Amino acid sequence: MSALTGYRVLELSEHVAGEYCGKLLADFGAEVIKLENPEGGSPTRQLGPFAPRGDDPERSGLFAYLNTNKCSVALDVRRAADGQQLDKLLRSVDVVIDDHAAGWLQAVGLDPAGLETGYPALVLCSITPYGQSPPPERSHAEDITVFHSSGWGYHTPGTDDPQQPPLKGAGRFLPSYEAGLEAAICVASALYEREGSGLGRFIDISQLQVLASRADYVLAQMVAGDMPVGPERTAYNLQGPAGIFPCRDGFAYIWMSAPGHWEALRQLLGDPEWMTSFPENWLERECTPERVAQCRHYLARWLETQDKHEVAAAAQQLGLTLVAVNNASDLVCSEQYRYRGFFHEVEHPVQGSALYPTVPYTLSETPARIVSPAPLLGQHTEAALAAAGGEL
Amino acid sequence: MSRRMRGGPLQGVRVIELTKVWAGPCVGKLLAYLGAEVIRIESEGSLDVTRTYGVADINNAPGFQSVNPEKLSVQVNMKTEEGIAIIHDLLAKSDILVENLRPGAVKRLGLDYEAVKASRPDIVYVSMGMFGTEGPLSYQTGYAPCFAALGGLSSRVGYEGGSPEGMNVRYADSTFGAAATYGALVALLHRRRTGVGQFVDVSAVECMSSMIGDTLMDFALNGAITGCDGNRHAQMAPHGVYPCLNDEWISIAVGGDAQWAALAQAMGKPELATQAAFCSLEARKAHEAELDALVSAWTAGRDASELAAELQQCGIAAARSQSSLDLVADPLLWARGFYQEVSDGAGQSKTTLGPSWTMDRAASISHGAPRLGEHNAYVLGDILGLSGEEQRALFDRGIAR
Repeated sequence: MSALTGYRVLELSEHVAGEYCGKLLADFGAEVIKLENPEGGSPTRQLGPFAPRGDDPERSGLFAYLNTNKCSVALDVRRAADGQQLDKLLRSVDVVIDDHAAGWLQAVGLDPAGLETGYPALVLCSITPYGQSPPPERSHAEDITVFHSSGWGYHTPGTDDPQQPPLKGAGRFLPSYEAGLEAAICVASALYEREGSGLGRFIDISQLQVLASRADYVLAQMVAGDMPVGPERTAYNLQGPAGIFPCRDGFAYIWMSAPGHWEALRQLLGDPEWMTSFPENWLERECTPERVAQCRHYLARWLETQDKHEVAAAAQQLGLTLVAVNNASDLVCSEQYRYRGFFHEVEHPVQGSALYPTVPYTLSETPARIVSPAPLLGQHTEAALAAAGGEL
Repeated sequence: MSRRMRGGPLQGVRVIELTKVWAGPCVGKLLAYLGAEVIRIESEGSLDVTRTYGVADINNAPGFQSVNPEKLSVQVNMKTEEGIAIIHDLLAKSDILVENLRPGAVKRLGLDYEAVKASRPDIVYVSMGMFGTEGPLSYQTGYAPCFAALGGLSSRVGYEGGSPEGMNVRYADSTFGAAATYGALVALLHRRRTGVGQFVDVSAVECMSSMIGDTLMDFALNGAITGCDGNRHAQMAPHGVYPCLNDEWISIAVGGDAQWAALAQAMGKPELATQAAFCSLEARKAHEAELDALVSAWTAGRDASELAAELQQCGIAAARSQSSLDLVADPLLWARGFYQEVSDGAGQSKTTLGPSWTMDRAASISHGAPRLGEHNAYVLGDILGLSGEEQRALFDRGIAR
């Protein structure tokens, strides 16, 4: 058995955050029952990337990725709530994951405040952009607006050029993935306690807070008054010449903060003339903007003649922190990723076979596994009906 | 029994940290915030550098305090066999060990998984490395921006057609810590149900890749290598960050035609919604530069907060892009208890970050980060059962302090 085998999870989620949380639980053997609107299914089925094969609602690669190992039961939640089906389902599961807007749970009869009396053993986890009681000016959100509420947007990139708009971060769904991960942490800990107490609990995840907490090292210092706060977009920055530079075949990132890094660079470059004008300990003690600019100028000229993987390997041997800026292809080709089995081949009945990314942790006794591809819409409705005595 | 029964789902769980800097301590912080008793083993000869960054007083270092609230500290000299033996004794009475030392360090100390299993067969052992503990690149080390670069994240962040800018330099460590925390909890749950412990091996670089899973799926399905896309989103337009008064910015995301019509109305140009160039998502994507210019010209004269509130009333996702000043003043973050008061050993009060979540029967959080060795007597005496005399003998010989 895997670590979560035997737990039943009802997934009411229809967005990336909640579906990702459900996926993280299903990885370890939890039985995740995904309720889908019979008319078209989860909205994530309409989001790309799309497979070259297949038609709606089965062509979304996003849905295929987020819903491995799950069951799909086509059932209109609001109608199920009006009848007794939802209540019956809720009594048969250990966990409910939801990511609809604040207030939606009450609307389907699952009031978090009444959980203790209605479903005392249920672990109910809600993921919303701003928590269960958002102020009116935070009623509507998408990942980019949450990212920008959290401080990460304003400081990405950390530039002082007012002409450059701040960016949304990596890809479309980083705030959702982060919140889904945090939700999985809370659910796992709640299940741990429930093994002893038999009690469920309500968990309220705010994407804003999850993202803000990912800057805890700086933000805690700021709110404590130990680090200055202000309107500067450079407020999260570190000084020094570190950064991304173009190479012959892509980009490389170099980090330099200590005399050891400087010495390693000197060895790698064969003691070039330009380095002699810098004090040995300048990175730690005399890191002036002029020196940073000068150093970056020479680093850029050198790196544009290099190949990213080769120069990174040579640098690491000498103790210089220089790495390739990888893209999706680099990751699939990475011997380290192959060694750890990060990509896993999954055969989807409509989309065909593809190498899916998996999870960043290996567990020696209960490794995460993709046992089945994402379900077709309503694939498990009949089985669920039969199990419930035909009354779903 | 743990000294601090603070409630929360992990009350009664004991965690030992052999960690440095940010990512490893973040695991302990999350577990402590869920109610676990978390003990940092510290050694004066190999101090966490965050205890010394920018300050003379190692017990008053803001960086250290930011990621170590509600933990205990015991000081053990790890350069002595007797010190290592004490750590083994402590592990025998603990549930989880978290380590993020340099590759090979725990092996040299005699504290690798095999060695610890001899003291505590069902330990949940969490190891954190840039690339994980095994494999051809596991010897390599780096800092947070390296994780993001190697994991594929940085290549996605930047202006269209430009060089990658990468995520902000502070991004990665806490995400790495969160992923390790989930792995630890799954293993802990498995142990509770079966009695079997295990080794959890977490890769920082893979953590970053898991934050762009859909990008990797596009490559898996279509061979697509997606680079920097500015603030674009394939299924929304307008979707971006637009200038406002006083060098402020507003983020706006328009999900469908109805919202676009509402935005056009708010802009005072309802006719835009029906113009051929903008009447559908496809059309708006095809004329996105023109669309962004129109929106920017309109937002430029407005106050970001007021405009966000106004657009929200029209049902449009919009938010001020918050600076650090905005964040520490954000009333919602205060109202939800994200900022909390804790007190240190000397009774001094300090504001810090609480947990990201709220939950029923949550753990209480009231203590700040520990002074070095603040809990020696508790750990050596109450947990390990050493008498005052035995503890003094250890102090005198420099094994513990």
